Amino acid sequence: MATGLNRVAEIYADRAARVTELKAGGKRIIGYLDIFPVVEMLTALDLVPYRLLGDLNEPITRADAYLPTVVCPFLRSVMDLGLKGKYDFLDGVVFAHGCEVSEKMAHIWRTYLHPPYAHFIDTPHTTHQAARKQHRELLKDFQKTLEEMTGQELTAEKLREAVNIHNRQRVLVRELYDLRKPDPPLISGAETVRVMVAVASLPVTEGNELLEQVIGEIKGRKDGPAPKPARLIVWGSIIDNTALVDLVESLGANVVMDDTTVGSRDYFPLVEITDDPRDGLADRYLVALRSPRTFRETVPDGNRRKDYMADLESRFGYLKDYAREWQVNGVILQVLRYCDIHGYEVPALKDYLESIGLPGIYLEHDYSKVALAQLRTRVQAFLEIIG
Amino acid sequence: MTVEKKKRAISRLKSMYPLRALVDGMYKKAVEASKNGEPVAWCMVNWWAGDTVLQAMGVHTVHPEDYGAVCAAFGAAQPYLDRSDSEGFPSHMCGYARNCLGYAALMQDLGEIPPEAPMAGMPKPTLLLGSGYFCDTRYKWFQALGRYLDAPMWVLEMPHPGVPESRIEGNREHNIRFLVEELRELIGFLEKQLDRKMDYVRLGEIVDDTIEMNRVWHEVNELRKARPCPMHSRDFWSSMPASLYMASDPRVTAGLYRDMYDEVKSRVDNHTGAVPEEKYRVAFAELPPWHSLGFFNQLAERGWNFVIESWAYHPPKPVDLSGLSDPLERIAGLTYQYFSGYFEDAFQAGDGWGYFAHPYLEMVREYRCDGILLHPLLTCRTATNHLTVVQNQLMEQLKVPSLVVEGDIVDLNLFNPAEALRKAETFEETMQHYRAVRKEAGFDW
Ligand code: SF4
Ligand code: SF4
Repeated sequence: MATGLNRVAEIYADRAARVTELKAGGKRIIGYLDIFPVVEMLTALDLVPYRLLGDLNEPITRADAYLPTVVCPFLRSVMDLGLKGKYDFLDGVVFAHGCEVSEKMAHIWRTYLHPPYAHFIDTPHTTHQAARKQHRELLKDFQKTLEEMTGQELTAEKLREAVNIHNRQRVLVRELYDLRKPDPPLISGAETVRVMVAVASLPVTEGNELLEQVIGEIKGRKDGPAPKPARLIVWGSIIDNTALVDLVESLGANVVMDDTTVGSRDYFPLVEITDDPRDGLADRYLVALRSPRTFRETVPDGNRRKDYMADLESRFGYLKDYAREWQVNGVILQVLRYCDIHGYEVPALKDYLESIGLPGIYLEHDYSKVALAQLRTRVQAFLEIIG
Repeated sequence: MTVEKKKRAISRLKSMYPLRALVDGMYKKAVEASKNGEPVAWCMVNWWAGDTVLQAMGVHTVHPEDYGAVCAAFGAAQPYLDRSDSEGFPSHMCGYARNCLGYAALMQDLGEIPPEAPMAGMPKPTLLLGSGYFCDTRYKWFQALGRYLDAPMWVLEMPHPGVPESRIEGNREHNIRFLVEELRELIGFLEKQLDRKMDYVRLGEIVDDTIEMNRVWHEVNELRKARPCPMHSRDFWSSMPASLYMASDPRVTAGLYRDMYDEVKSRVDNHTGAVPEEKYRVAFAELPPWHSLGFFNQLAERGWNFVIESWAYHPPKPVDLSGLSDPLERIAGLTYQYFSGYFEDAFQAGDGWGYFAHPYLEMVREYRCDGILLHPLLTCRTATNHLTVVQNQLMEQLKVPSLVVEGDIVDLNLFNPAEALRKAETFEETMQHYRAVRKEAGFDW
């Protein structure tokens, strides 16, 4: 069997290959969408979490009859794949309230695709005390349906073990991302996307092995990316394929960091180990994940006025840290058309970047290669400015 | 404009005007209040949670979502939309939000309400109250307003029941607890911000009046099952903001809905329809093109009566909450009923798509509709993303056809009334055809 980056290439080319093998061997595979379903609870019950992603190369032909064209094209792509039977190997699906359309899609999916098991977690939108408590209750509901489906008890011990394995994966991803800090980075942005997609397509222990292999291989290799004048962060809507990063890197930049959901946004925060592991999990997914879909009040107690710059610092301050640590000199703000969660952030994030002296460019696209190709000139012009 | 030619085709209810005036007056009252130093909140929520609390705390409210519709109806939205675009907000975002962001940017430039703002405008807010329910816009938009306004913001959370998970043992209880605790946290925030205490006795009265207001409003809409239908959707849309946005003291509003009940009932007793000759009974989903409402007059001339519309703008089905002594529990009970009461039969049927789409089946069946007009909006996911499912299910389960007319709530460039009318004319044949199909399939309408 191939190892390291070769194995990554294999899985990237055929994401379902490994899980269908596992399924043939008796494992149960559970699809999940976005970063809010608590996957540790699946792993703890020996279920294989498998991230639902779209396919940029597959024209959307069947989803139109179920999801209109004015919603997120990534979700339409996922739905389209589902309708075409590409996710038929799944033994169930877990959705959460990542954004409004993904929430609606959860119900549309179960209506039309009749998965043997489906669960929707109504993840709250704030970090209020009441919301945190509610999230814990929601995880108990999730536990009930999982136990019913598997006929097994989800003990605290099993859950703690799963938390450890998933945390291990998060630590490894950080190690991988550390390899992007030198100039030139030891791994390109496009390679990183491939690794992350591969990891999201494997059971967590196999993902960990793969990450260890990749990290070892990268550290020792001589054919890494060349130095380029621009070192960029890509921020925004989901990136589950290399198309955009390939385009940017082909124009004289290294993408050295991301703030997207098949990337640092999902993998950087760890789960705190708590007496009842569900508490640590509930808080990790609601509070620790830094997604614009989760609202945080930023007016301190007793203040009657909101300070815009303080608000921006609280919302985007971590990007300044990323920029410093990964020596970034530009930001790509990319938003999928009709993605409200990210669309509303754009002027504020631009304000923030301006305040810290980091140039940024806003790119809107619709999850298609044709649309990406049209952005070429703008990216080129941006790179000339910062280069 | 040709669409405005014959306004009399729909016989409007007299009792609608005072209800509409309440909403219009809301803006003037808020502007006055702001001049007098009283707190004003821009709100994204309404009776089903936050506004009862705000009213009891003496906070005046305006609803930028409604204001978007107002600006659209007055033809005043375009400069605000353009301004939002030039501020860098993507143009595919909610038309109401773009309208408001442009308005707020302009207000910041001028240091006062833009002079051309319709209905006295919205005054600078003391607070922003966003919501986690329905759409991402309801809190992301208000957060984005931080560029122009220094008002602190709170997001009121609500669960999304009405889905299969709601049937898990204990789920209803913890959702209700969540609603109550969220309201308590909101009150804590308001007390600190406003430096005043909640008057729970007053809150209790407001909540009871709100429950009653919604009960009467529900009864009015029940009368619309009559044939011919006595009240057109246009009257519904003009009257709904009074309750949906808590435009006034709910006791006053309940009285006006009672007057409306009497008027509608007398039409039912006299077999008077809202259109001269009811040939087609049609449902509408979701938000109408506010800038082109004359389009419905043209359809009325052709015998189209719009007899019912989206559940989300309707009050909850009546529920007895008299056993709950805590007003916050009564708000939570009413809110939960609103978010789940329309899906009961979806639950019974074990139907996973209950939430949001299923109520259309009940509506179309009970109001005996020949068709439904679906209005997908380029800029509102919430009003759009389930419509194809609605279309499929209505056809599969009830043999009721859908007419799809794309448009927008604010941006009039996105709605083409002439083309819509052409499509509607053809659709009449489709409705007639499916009448026969339903008859053959054993349906009774
Ligand atoms: S890209 Fe945006 S709209 Fe699409 S699933 Fe993600 S958050 Fe939702
Ligand atoms: S429901 Fe639609 S119109 Fe209303 S705020 Fe949300 S996106 Fe805008």
